[in-house]
Amino acid sequence: MATVLEHKARFDELKLSARVFLANKTAVAGLVIFLVFMGDALIVQIAPGVLGVTYPNDVIPPQFTQTNPECDNMPPEPPSLSHPFGTFEYGQQGIGCLDLLQLVMKAIRIDIAIAFFIVLVGAAIGTLLGVVSGYVGKWLDEVLMRVTDVFFSVPFLILALAVGYVIGRTLFNMALALIIIWWPLYARYGRSLTLTTKEATFIESARASGSGRLKIMFRHLLPNVLPPILVQISLDVGTVILIFSTLAFIGFLPSNVLVPELGAIANFGLDLAPLGFWWTVVAPGGVITLFALAVNLMGDGLRDVIDPRRRS
Amino acid sequence: MKLWVYVLRRLILLLPTLIGLTFLVFALEHLGGTALILAQYIDPHLTGTARQQLVEQLTARFHLNDPVYVQYFYWLAAILQGDWGLSTTIRQPVTTGFLWFMPNTIMLTIVASALTWIISVPIGVYSAARRDSILDQGVRVVTFTLYSMPIFLIGYALFLTLGTGWRILPSQFNIDPILLPTIPRAWFDDTNSVSYPTHILAIDAFLHGDWTIAWNAFLHVILPSVALALALLAGIIRILRASMLEVLEQDYVRLARAKGVPERLVNNFHAKKNALLPTVTSFGYLVSGLFGGAVVIEYIFTFKGIGWWTTFAFLHQDVAVVMGSTLVFGVILVVTTLILDILYAFLDPRIRYE
Repeated sequence: MATVLEHKARFDELKLSARVFLANKTAVAGLVIFLVFMGDALIVQIAPGVLGVTYPNDVIPPQFTQTNPECDNMPPEPPSLSHPFGTFEYGQQGIGCLDLLQLVMKAIRIDIAIAFFIVLVGAAIGTLLGVVSGYVGKWLDEVLMRVTDVFFSVPFLILALAVGYVIGRTLFNMALALIIIWWPLYARYGRSLTLTTKEATFIESARASGSGRLKIMFRHLLPNVLPPILVQISLDVGTVILIFSTLAFIGFLPSNVLVPELGAIANFGLDLAPLGFWWTVVAPGGVITLFALAVNLMGDGLRDVIDPRRRS
Repeated sequence: MKLWVYVLRRLILLLPTLIGLTFLVFALEHLGGTALILAQYIDPHLTGTARQQLVEQLTARFHLNDPVYVQYFYWLAAILQGDWGLSTTIRQPVTTGFLWFMPNTIMLTIVASALTWIISVPIGVYSAARRDSILDQGVRVVTFTLYSMPIFLIGYALFLTLGTGWRILPSQFNIDPILLPTIPRAWFDDTNSVSYPTHILAIDAFLHGDWTIAWNAFLHVILPSVALALALLAGIIRILRASMLEVLEQDYVRLARAKGVPERLVNNFHAKKNALLPTVTSFGYLVSGLFGGAVVIEYIFTFKGIGWWTTFAFLHQDVAVVMGSTLVFGVILVVTTLILDILYAFLDPRIRYE
């Protein structure tokens, strides 16, 4: 009987959360756009043919030049009905008529995957360290905070460049470099959440009833620290996309590595845009903006759900 | 706590961060192995025994066969003595490169932060005072969009429209290349070839009374700094608006209104000052954003500052510069954050007791 009541209480809680979120029109709009992006990523992953996408991992499909000889040195075409985002021409080889919309659809899958990878790994490392250092305190806490200070003391783009320089300029290493930059944020956040939670009565009672340190940290503290961390993760997915597309834009990936990534696509357009082919930079840039905008709107709604003071 | 005690405490706390920063850069530089460190000194065309000899010489010079912690102290000693290595991109010591490029970045960031401040304060205050009016809604939509834009898109949009598109403002380099030969040699120092007295061409030309060059160099700063300001505006306006909304709820503001103080005065006199105070803490964010953003913006506008040089060095395998600017940016950021914290403690004594 008690469990049924408990379930009902939890269900009511969820219903209230959903109502608070759904009452926020812009947050819902953000969610819808976000779902469209996720849908695109999923479809390209599972059945790219549905969207008319071929070779989801390549910018230029193999044997493209042989099968489409007319595309040799074809200048980019402006947005039209058949190519809603226009087309672009790749580099010195002069491979033209590459459809930007198709490229963007491929890139969204890769961008979302990297963004989630960076944020989730960074959050996992950071939160664990933050909870442990916040709970254990003393010198461990002091050392960890000084370490995060060091990571915060360099503008992150420059730190990412330096790290990337050392570990090599590949897509995976770009994600790795950003994880190195991202975990301190979560270490700080997890720590501060732990510091407030560990004063709560239920932690004290757990300690009084003889729970060990590990049990308190992972059974009691972590579940209570997680909800705000999850909101932060959802917000950071938008921010991280902005940062790594910017990194790719300034040429983090070597020019012979062709990855359909939104920032990298904008980077290909660098030589073309000043000649009047503006859509080669604006289309991928606009898609990034739309995604980040959707995530930020959604995050605002989520914050209202988590923060009881803003519920009304 | 007295102000000087607070300052002293902050200065002591600064030390571990600075030491940690040198650890970080040292570790990064040495993680890549010996080849990465020596790359800057060895001509890639050199082969055979000559190369072998050079490698041995350099290994001895940088003590690369010693244990890592010993290497660290040799490395730190070299850094403190001003030996930051050789840049392969400019074929000069890295420190000379900083002398060339740093003043431009400082000029850019100062103009950009001034612009950010001038634009965001009235907008933030006004938008909070007229909460939920059409103007406020518009400001929120615009800032939200700007906030979600990658900085390269903001910069590139300006570059394409005002720059190369309509040709309203120059969008490349620090000065028109045509004007370069007209700059008198006498302004330059022979050893470092930087212009005097300030190293910033726009200001130096102005001081020397050459208006054409001064005006032209100044025009080249506008577009990059506007782009940088636009990228930072949104965050500042959001913080300022939230802070202003909070202040407007305070009792003393209500009292001022009740006394019959005109709304304009309440906003600008009672509320604004107190709303601005918390935004000083967000200056750290502003400074970090300024330098991070300068990298991208300088790259787009080929504005020859440290940011441009760092990306250029990154793309051309110039390790000494990448590591050197990591260290320099780190030190600058740490020191400016310290100064701002002290300033904040000076303005708001409550901070010192936390």
